Amino acid sequence: MVVSSDHPNPPATPQVKAMNCPGCGAALTLRSFTQAVTVVCQSCHSILDAQDPQLKILQQFQKTTGEDPPLIPLGTRGKLRGTAYEAVGFQRRTIHVDGIPYSWHEYVLFNPYKGFRYLTEYNGHWNDVSTLKALPTLNSFVGEVTVSYLGEKYRHFQTAEAATTYVLGEFPWQVRVGETNEVTDYVSPPRVLSSEKSGKEVSWSMGEYVSGRDVWKAFSLAGEPSQPIGVYENQPSPFSADTKQIWTIFAAFALLVIVMLIGFASFAGNEQVFQGDYAFDTNSRSEPSFVTDPFELKGRTSTLELSTHTSLDNNWIYLNYALVNQDTEKAYDFGREVSYYHGYDEDGSWTEGSRSDSVAIPSVPPGTYYLRVEPESDRGHGTIHYAITARRDVPQFSFFGIALLALLVPAALITWRSINFEHMRWAESDHAPMESRNDGDDDE
Amino acid sequence: MRALYLFYGLIILALLTMAEYRGWSLASVNEVKNVPRSVRDNPGSYRSVYSSYHHYTGGK
Repeated sequence: MVVSSDHPNPPATPQVKAMNCPGCGAALTLRSFTQAVTVVCQSCHSILDAQDPQLKILQQFQKTTGEDPPLIPLGTRGKLRGTAYEAVGFQRRTIHVDGIPYSWHEYVLFNPYKGFRYLTEYNGHWNDVSTLKALPTLNSFVGEVTVSYLGEKYRHFQTAEAATTYVLGEFPWQVRVGETNEVTDYVSPPRVLSSEKSGKEVSWSMGEYVSGRDVWKAFSLAGEPSQPIGVYENQPSPFSADTKQIWTIFAAFALLVIVMLIGFASFAGNEQVFQGDYAFDTNSRSEPSFVTDPFELKGRTSTLELSTHTSLDNNWIYLNYALVNQDTEKAYDFGREVSYYHGYDEDGSWTEGSRSDSVAIPSVPPGTYYLRVEPESDRGHGTIHYAITARRDVPQFSFFGIALLALLVPAALITWRSINFEHMRWAESDHAPMESRNDGDDDE
Repeated sequence: MRALYLFYGLIILALLTMAEYRGWSLASVNEVKNVPRSVRDNPGSYRSVYSSYHHYTGGK
C-alpha cells in the first residue's frame, strides 16, 4: 500500500509499497510507487507489470543470464548533488564492436519529489545522468557530426546497438531483457549527450562524469570503488586545462628570458683587457712558451673570454694557455686547438675548421693576471701568426638557449601527455585514429 | 601542475641570472693552485695538464 501524498502541505513521508511476486511468491517492495512501469523480482527475476494490480508477469530471464550484483545495492539511499535518492533499479546493457561485447551498468535512482535520475558505470567510470527537457540541435559539417545544447557543442563519439542483458528492481519504462536500442553518444568532457532510438521514439539524456569516490561517498558504500580502467568517452582530461595554462606561463617566461638577454647584452662590461700579436716559428728549436705582460681584471667575479685569431692555412696550432693570477698564484689552465684546412675535390671546394677560436673562462675573480702561452704545431710549416684578445664580462648566450630549452621541455611533456590522453579517448570511438582502425582491420 | 611549473620556471630564471651575473661558462678549465712565481721568469718550467693532448692533424 502506498502511503501517498494526500496531504500536500506538508508532504507525507514516502513509504514503500509491499506486494508479492506472482511468479515465486517472494515479497516485493515498490519504492517508486505509481511511477514504476515495470518491476523485476529479485528472487525469480520475473519482470512484472507494475501498473497492473495483479502484477502480470511480462518476462522471465533468470535462466539466460548469470548473476550481476549491483555495486549500489537496491534500496540504498544516498545524497546526490544535495538531493536524496534511492537506488530502485539496475540494468546491464551491452554493445558489440567488431564482435567483442562491451557492457555497462545503469542504476535507476528515485526521489519522490524530484523523480528519476540515473547513474551509469563502465570499468570504474561513473556518470550522473538525467533526461533532457529540451532537444539538442543536430549539426553536420564536413563529415563531422555534432549536437549543440545550451550553447555547448558535443562531438559525435559512437553509435551502437545496445541490448538490455540484465535487469533488477523498478523501471519507469517497459523494460525487457533482450530489447535493443540505437544509442548515440556525443561528448564534450566532462559531459556526454546520449540519444536512444527505439522505433520512432528518441529520448535524450545528459551525463556528467563523476568519480567513483564521490558515488561511494554519496551512498555511504562499504570499501573502495574500483580504479577506472582506460580513458572514458567523457572523462575530463587532467591535462587540458594545464596545457593551456602552462603554455601561457611558458610564453611569459620566454619573454622574460628575451628581456634578460637584452638586459645582460646591454649592461655587460664586455671590455677588452688584453691584446697581443705573436708569431710561432715551427722550424725553431728554441723554447716556444712565453708569458704576456700583466693586465688588470676589475669589477666583480665574471667571465674572461679569450679569443685566438690565426693566419693558418692548411695547418693547425695548439695553444696551451694558463691564466695566472700573479698575486694568489692560482691559474686557469686550458688548451685550445685551432685548425683550418681547405681544398678542392670532385664535389668542389671544401673547408674544414676555422682560423679563429674563443673560450670563456668561468668566474674569474678580479686581480692582476698574465697569460702563459705555449704553442705547438707540426714542424717545418713556417711561421704561424696569431693574435690573442681577452675580454672581461662577456655575456654567455648559450645559457639563454639552455634556459629556454629547460622551460620548453616540461611544457612539451604535458602537451604530449594531453594529446596522448585524447588519443586514448578517441581510440574507443567511431572516429578512432588510423592506426587503431588498422589494428582492428588486422584482426578481421 | 601550474604552480609546480611556475616554481620550476622561477628557479630556471634565478639560475640563469646567477650564471650570467657570476660569469659561469660551459668551458672546461683546469684550476691550478700554487703556481710558482718563477714561471714569470722561466715560462718553460710550467707543465700544462693539456701538454700531452693528442692533436688532430686533419683535413680531407
